[in-house]
Amino acid sequence: MEKNKAISLLLKDPRTRYVIIGVLVATIPFLATAGLLRSAVVILIGSILIYSVAGLGINILLGYSGLISLGTAGFMGFAAYIAAYLTMNLGFPFEITLLISIAVPVLLGLFVGLVSFRIEGIYLAIATLSVGEVLRRSFEELVGFTNSFAGMRVNYPTLFGVWSLDRNGTFVLIAVALTLAMILTHNIVHSRPGRALHAMRGSTVAAQAMGVNILRYRLFAFAVSTGLVALAGVLYVHFVRFTHPDIWGWGLSLNILALVIIGGLRSIYGTLLGAFVVFGIPSLILVRLPIIGDIPGVSFVFNGIVIVIVVLLYPRGIVSIFTDIGKLIKKTGRA
Amino acid sequence: MSSQMNALLREKEILKVSNLSISFGGLKAVDDISFLVHEKEIFGLIGPNGAGKTSVFNCITQFYRPDGGEILFRTNRGEVVDLVGKKVHDIISLGLVRTFQNVEVIRELSLLDNLLLGAHTEYKSSVISQILRLPNAKRDEREMAARAEEILEVLGILNLRDVPAGGQSYGVLKKVELARTLMTKPRIIILDEPAAGLDDGETLQFAETIKQIRDRYNLAILLVEHDMRLVMGICDRVCAINFGRYLACDIPAEIQKNKHVQEAYLGEEESDVD
Ligand SMILES: Nc1ncnc2c1ncn2[C@@H]1O[C@H](COP(=O)(O)OP(=O)(O)OP(=O)(O)O)[C@@H](O)[C@H]1O
Ligand SMILES: [Mg+2]
Repeated sequence: MEKNKAISLLLKDPRTRYVIIGVLVATIPFLATAGLLRSAVVILIGSILIYSVAGLGINILLGYSGLISLGTAGFMGFAAYIAAYLTMNLGFPFEITLLISIAVPVLLGLFVGLVSFRIEGIYLAIATLSVGEVLRRSFEELVGFTNSFAGMRVNYPTLFGVWSLDRNGTFVLIAVALTLAMILTHNIVHSRPGRALHAMRGSTVAAQAMGVNILRYRLFAFAVSTGLVALAGVLYVHFVRFTHPDIWGWGLSLNILALVIIGGLRSIYGTLLGAFVVFGIPSLILVRLPIIGDIPGVSFVFNGIVIVIVVLLYPRGIVSIFTDIGKLIKKTGRA
Repeated sequence: MSSQMNALLREKEILKVSNLSISFGGLKAVDDISFLVHEKEIFGLIGPNGAGKTSVFNCITQFYRPDGGEILFRTNRGEVVDLVGKKVHDIISLGLVRTFQNVEVIRELSLLDNLLLGAHTEYKSSVISQILRLPNAKRDEREMAARAEEILEVLGILNLRDVPAGGQSYGVLKKVELARTLMTKPRIIILDEPAAGLDDGETLQFAETIKQIRDRYNLAILLVEHDMRLVMGICDRVCAINFGRYLACDIPAEIQKNKHVQEAYLGEEESDVD
C-alpha cells in the first residue's frame, strides 16, 4: 500500500516524466544499431534534441521573462568553438572544456544583459542580432582560433579521461543533458525566481513594488538562457564533430526563436514539440516529397507558413492542441 | 543618524509627507503637499481627476523622484527613514506596499502565485536552494503558501486559489491585488482607487473588507478614492488636494463642509458639462 502510494506520487512529479522522456529518447540510436532506423535519422534527431536545449534557454528568456534575443546562434557557436579549440588544440579534458565553454559565453551574455538594461522589444532584438553577427564574423576572421572557412573537426567526447564515447554514447549524453535542462527549467519557473521573471514580463511596476530587483532578474534570465544555449553549442560540436562559421548565422537564431513560438511559449513540452516541427519535418518529410522537395529553401518557407498558422489558430503554440484534447477527454470522461 | 530621525516622528505617527513637490515639464503635478498618517488609521487622499493623487503615491513609493520634500516613514523595525532616494524595490521590505490604479496582477500566474510574488522579499533561502528545492527553500515555500491561503480565505477567494488571474472578474482582481500587499505583513498599505470599476454592492462589500483588514492586520491604510460614500464611510481622516495643491485635511464630516473642497468638486462638475 505505502509503496504504491509512493510510486504514484513519484509518477505525478513532472520531473519523473522528464526522466522517462529522457530514457525513451536515449534508446533511439540503438534502434538504428538494430537496423530499425537509418543512421541519418539518428543524427537528425540528436541535433533536434540539442536545439531543444537551446530552445529551453530562449523560452526562459522570451516566454517567461519577455526578453527577446536574436543572437542565439552566435552564442551557441561561441561555445562550440571554445569547446573545439580546448579539446582539439589544447587537449583539455571534456569536463573542464564543458565548464569553460559554458562560463565564457555566460559572462558575455551577462555583459550584453548589463549594457542592454532598459532596452526593450525591437531595440533589444536589433542589439542582440548585432552581437550574434559580430560573433559569427569573428568565427570567420579569427583564423588561429577557429580555422575560419576550413572549419574544425572535433571528436566524440571522452568522459573522465578514459571513457571514449561513440555516436550512441554521445546521443545518450545529449538525452541526459536535455533531461537535466528540462528539470532545471521546470524548477526555475515553478519557484520564487520564476515568479519574479513572470512578474517582470507581466507587469514591471508590480514586480518592482513587490521587491523584485529588475536588473538582477534580467541578468539572471540572460545568464540561464545563455548557459543552456552554450550547453547546446558544446553538445552540437561534439555530436556533429564539425563546426564552420556558416552554421552560426542569424537563420539559426530565427529557427530557434520560431521553434519556441511554434511549440509554445512558457511550455517545456512545447519546446521539444516545436524543435521537432521546425527542424524535423522539413528534413524528414518535406524534402522527400516530389516537386515540393526540390524547392530551394523549402524549410524556411515551411516554418514561415507554420508560424502564421500557429499564431492565428494556436497563439499558445501547438502544445495547446494537446492540452485542449486532454481537457476534452477529461470533460467527456466526467459526463 | 537614525536616532536623530526618530525624533522627527512622534509616537503613533507612521508616515509624514512634508512639502512634497514634483513637476513634469512646466506642470506642477504635486505642489508643496504635506500630510501625516497615524498608525492603524484609514486615511483618504481625495481630489478631482488630475489633482495629483497618483503622483503623490508614486513619489512615496519612489516610482517618481520628487523634486523636493521629505517622506518620513517608521519602518517595521521601528526606525524612522526618509523614503526619498530609496530604490523602488527596497520600499516593500521597509513595510510599505502599494496597489495600482490599473490593477497590476500577473495574468498567467494563479491567484496563489500572485500572492507568493507578494512575498518575494520574505524568503530566507537563497535562489540556488530555491532552484534545487533544498529543504530550507521548501520550508519557505510552505510557510508562504500557508500565509497566502489565510489571506485568500479572509478575502473570500480561497476557492480560486489555483486558477490563473487572467480572466477573473474585476472585483476578484482588485481583491488579489489587495491580498498581495498583505503578504509581507506591512505597517501601511497604500491603495490607488481600490473600488474603481466595482458596482454599488461590491463597493459596499469592499469598504467592509478594508476595515476588516485594518483591524485584523493592525496596519494603516492610505487610499485614493473617487467614490465619496466609500471615503466618507470608512476614512478616519481625509486630505483633499486640487491641481497638485493642498486644500484641507480633516475628519470626513468637516471635509464635506469645507468651502475649498466643495468648490474644487463643483469646478470639476462644471467642466464635465462642457
Ligand atoms: N509620468 C508623467 N509624465 C507626465 N505627466 C504626468 C506624469 N504623471 C502624472 N502626470 C500629470 O500630472 C497630473 C496629475 O496626475 P495624477 O495621475 O497624479 O492625477 P490623479 O489625481 O491620480 O488623477 P486621477 O483621478 O485621474 O487618477 C496630470 O496632469 C498628469 O497628466
Ligand atoms: Mg490617479
